Amino acid sequence: MSILAQMAIVFATCLAGEALSAILPFPFPSSIAAMLLLLAALWTGILKVEHIRQKSDFLLSNMSFFFIPAGVRVIEHLSLVSAIWWRFIVVVVVSTVAVFLASALAAGLAMRFGRRRR
Amino acid sequence: MREAVFSSPFFGITLSLAAYCIGVMICRRTSLAICNPLLISYLIIIPTLLLAGIPLEWYENGGDLIDMFLSPATAVLALTVYRQRKLVRRHIIAIAAGTVAGCVTSITTVYAMCRLLSLDGIVTASLLPKSITTPMAIAVSQSLGGIGPLTVLAVIFTGILGSILAPLLTRVFRIRDEVVQGIAIGASSHAVGTGKAIEMGEIQGAMSSISLVISGILTVLVSIPFS
Repeated sequence: MSILAQMAIVFATCLAGEALSAILPFPFPSSIAAMLLLLAALWTGILKVEHIRQKSDFLLSNMSFFFIPAGVRVIEHLSLVSAIWWRFIVVVVVSTVAVFLASALAAGLAMRFGRRRR
Repeated sequence: MREAVFSSPFFGITLSLAAYCIGVMICRRTSLAICNPLLISYLIIIPTLLLAGIPLEWYENGGDLIDMFLSPATAVLALTVYRQRKLVRRHIIAIAAGTVAGCVTSITTVYAMCRLLSLDGIVTASLLPKSITTPMAIAVSQSLGGIGPLTVLAVIFTGILGSILAPLLTRVFRIRDEVVQGIAIGASSHAVGTGKAIEMGEIQGAMSSISLVISGILTVLVSIPFS
């Protein structure tokens, strides 16, 4: 499928995500709505991987590039960052280690439980 | 002349692309764990804007166009899950257990630490989604009333930290199962950590990408009642 057609499909899904998020009675990010719609379309066979493969792989493999402007805006909050920087680092370090270990523990127990049942 | 050039959308886009390409090049040469193209991009772009006295609004004329791709980039994560659907089905219970535990731990530890260190509500809201992938984290941060750029900073820092710590923690705590390693990396350090997981092995990489998507969705769902 041509790259323009693939772009049309991906952008149309994002548009449908915006519509879904506007209809839902609670605040739900439109990008996640679009992702769930795309997953549903793939799972039901409405869309084939081939229909969006090149466009998706381009976005996925260059994903972090698209985060640049979102982070550059920190320029407007430099005084806040300099006021909280060490507490910021402590929170991030402690919670990252805690999340890793909690997740590994829970997944490990679930795996052991699954194996015993089999 | 100055305004005509620097307020053109081409300025923001070119600066971003150039900075990112330099970042990728440096990381390829040095292969240090702390090296991250995004981090290097910020270290190039922010000082450039500050030193040249270019207002953020001028940069944003191009930046907003790049921002537009955040939503499609999030949407196509669906393809990652779909491609790994066999693994999802086989390890559904472990994935569910690992991501729920990760999500709950992330929210409770960030909240508790922020209270303990007396960080205010806005900073807390910005840090709560720090373990999930950037576009989802921005969405959660916005709906909780946080500062988007601060969230991005926390997310990237978390990702880099996760990719450095993952090999270490798996060794120290003897986490030998490749599936479990992948789930924990995805839940704790999203897409940046997944890069490391892919290096550790194919199964770790696949499980980590599934885990990052599910963890993101869970965090979005949990945050709905508070927005």
